[in-house]
Amino acid sequence: MFRSSALRLLALLLSALPLLAGPPQRVVSQAVGTDELLLALADPGQIAALSHISHDGRFSPVAAEAKRFPAIQDSDAESVLRYRPDLVLAASFTRPETLALLRRAGVRLVVLEHYETLEEVYASLLTLGRELGHLDRAEALVAQCRQRVKDLAQRLQGVRPLRVVSAGVYPLTSGGGTTFQDLCEHAGALNTAAEAGLKGLAPTPSESLLTWRIEMLIAAEDRDIRTRLAQIPHYRVLPAFRAGRLVLLPGPLLSSVSHHRIEAYELLARALHPERFQ
Amino acid sequence: MTTALSAAGLGVPGRLEAVSITLGPGELVAVVGPNGAGKSTLLQALAGLLPAEGGICWNGQPLSEISITERGRRLAWVDQEAHFEFAFPVREVVAQGRYAWGDNLDGVAEALAELDLTHLAERPATRLSGGERHRVGLARALATQAPIQLWDEPVAQLDVRHALEVLRLARQLTTRGATLVVSLHDLRAAYRFDRVLVLDRGRLVGNGKPHEVLTADLIRQVFRVEATFVESLVPELPSE
Amino acid sequence: MRQQAALPTLLALLALAFLASLAFGELRLGMGQVLSALAGVGDELSRTVVRDFRLPRALVGMAAGAALAASGVVMQAFFRNPLASPGLLGVSSGGALGAVVVLALGPALGWAATTLWALPLASFLGAFGATSAVLFLAQRGAGAERLLLSGIALNALLGAGTSFLLTTTVGHFEVNAQMLFWLMGGLESRSWEHVWMGAPAILLGCLLLLPLGRAMNLLSLGEQSAQSLGVDVRRLRWQLILLSTVLTALATAVGGIIGFVGLVVPHMLRLAFGPDHRRLLPYAMLGGAAFLLACDLITRAFPLGLRLGVVTSLVGGPFFLWLLRRPR
Repeated sequence: MFRSSALRLLALLLSALPLLAGPPQRVVSQAVGTDELLLALADPGQIAALSHISHDGRFSPVAAEAKRFPAIQDSDAESVLRYRPDLVLAASFTRPETLALLRRAGVRLVVLEHYETLEEVYASLLTLGRELGHLDRAEALVAQCRQRVKDLAQRLQGVRPLRVVSAGVYPLTSGGGTTFQDLCEHAGALNTAAEAGLKGLAPTPSESLLTWRIEMLIAAEDRDIRTRLAQIPHYRVLPAFRAGRLVLLPGPLLSSVSHHRIEAYELLARALHPERFQ
Repeated sequence: MTTALSAAGLGVPGRLEAVSITLGPGELVAVVGPNGAGKSTLLQALAGLLPAEGGICWNGQPLSEISITERGRRLAWVDQEAHFEFAFPVREVVAQGRYAWGDNLDGVAEALAELDLTHLAERPATRLSGGERHRVGLARALATQAPIQLWDEPVAQLDVRHALEVLRLARQLTTRGATLVVSLHDLRAAYRFDRVLVLDRGRLVGNGKPHEVLTADLIRQVFRVEATFVESLVPELPSE
Repeated sequence: MRQQAALPTLLALLALAFLASLAFGELRLGMGQVLSALAGVGDELSRTVVRDFRLPRALVGMAAGAALAASGVVMQAFFRNPLASPGLLGVSSGGALGAVVVLALGPALGWAATTLWALPLASFLGAFGATSAVLFLAQRGAGAERLLLSGIALNALLGAGTSFLLTTTVGHFEVNAQMLFWLMGGLESRSWEHVWMGAPAILLGCLLLLPLGRAMNLLSLGEQSAQSLGVDVRRLRWQLILLSTVLTALATAVGGIIGFVGLVVPHMLRLAFGPDHRRLLPYAMLGGAAFLLACDLITRAFPLGLRLGVVTSLVGGPFFLWLLRRPR
């Protein structure tokens, strides 16, 4: 399923450039989200470089694998063009100046525009598979992902969703329309922030948090995260937090805009509903 | 006779060279000299407001032995610049002269009256003319009731009437036993003082009775002007 | 007549702001609920909200407001300039850098950085270090002008350090956001620990400051005059710098960078009740506390949108401009 804007962009790019003989051989991924897609689909020889934070385990769920490839020095256009790429992958959160400079340089550019839901991720995988000349690989991966999600849904059939909230030292919580909301929907959880009407990333309320009847807090793994959450008054007094009901997930998985988030679904589901995984 | 104020080898590097003087109680002393001669520096040094070489004694006691509060009671100094950044009423500025005496406000009303400020007592000091501000500074010094008074160019910005009144006040204070050291540009007024100190480029070049010190030779040498002595134009200033 | 009204008026304003701080928040609580929660009775939810959230927040706000306003009064007397502000000698920018360093180096500092005390302590040390550096750089005599110029230079230097750390941590958005929020000041998520860190020492600083009012009156009209009238100017200047630095550093440590309070509050009160520091100091402490609580109430309507430092500047900026245009 293609997104029309992505299609239009592709069409524009294709018309503006001379047709290339074969699949690209020097692909540079500019964003950490596109690193994950590229690593999943490309032949190792096709990858020229990955994003500047690709080697950092705090941001990338595939940092270990990414270390086999060079990382661009900075996220700007010059760092990308140094590798003389024949295809550049970027995301809608890439700085607009960088995108404009890359376009002006005449390099072939694919911009990942939508990633909030799995279907959007599948569409991106297929687009990229076609670009790289590995559509078969992309189709197989999508099918495999669909199967994992289906298996998970079966295990969680009829389970009572636990009331959760995304917690963090960062004073924002995830409401509706976020990757966290998507995670909850797949892992047998009810995002109480979305239930309370919050949309997107919203300031974490302090007083009303006490009225949301939260059963479990979900946070990104970080050093001493429990201690640091305990310093914030509205978590400290929360009964669920005091009872130690906190699930920690690897940060890169929690914020992943690729198919790797399925791993987060599985980890969370296992933590929330262990009885279904015996 | 006791000494009120004495200095031995008083110096401030680059500004004042080894000045030695002894002033008695009840003396009205004028300090004259061209711009930059060191008049203000001498007054500040005598008041103990500058790091200076040499020794200073007040009432025969070395300055270093006198506590800061006691200094506030014994000597008053009036700046040649009178700027008030904050809108204190005139009465409160004058009452500051009583700081060293705790909350005792004796003499504040009299000081206001002496400087013709009673009608301005409640006006913010920021809304005064330059001359009025100077009078406020003098009134504050008066309110200290200190027996040694050092006034830096107190009349330069005053109109004729107020200038004469200030000089008359100075004379009046000496009759009560106070020692006054007043820097001046008006040599005719200085001629009516008990003693004149002449400064030139940081050195004390004259110290004595006016008619002995303010000679045509010295005036030519220090001020580079020719002076002719005529009958004084300030007859109202009593010369004791 | 005006003077007699001053203290009751300011006390009433402060009491009003304090009660409003306890009464208004995310959750709607009746005044009865608030009062019974304060007394320790009533339902658990309102007890928690009032006693664990709103009360410490209000107390920290009061302490920080009083400290900043008092510190402003001191700096203005010290520099004999009604436009002087507490941050002039690098206290705020030093505090900012200290806090940002702890946030940026967090992982490298290990356990030390995870305690609630790390950030305020670092900010306090940064503030003190900066002012000491300014005093050292201005060197002997430390005339007002040299102090000011050293302050400007050091403020720029420390600001550059803070900006550098802000940009280098931009990838780690949690850290970056914490820095930003801290640099814009705020009282949300204040706990009783913050009250204990700030309030007692601020109270002590204020009490030590009050007896200096009369000497400050003299100093504010000229250093040499003050000295000749019996003020130990050297000692007084040290006392003032020390107390002003401690107060601003403590306020910054528990509330982040909050601008303009030290300028606006003393000014309003000076215009209303005159420049006598014996009265201005206590008025500024009460007025500053009330002003900051009022600004904090505005921020509650826009969580994370309007930071406290933004509100005080939004109120303070136009006031400052008016002040400059006003004929003197």
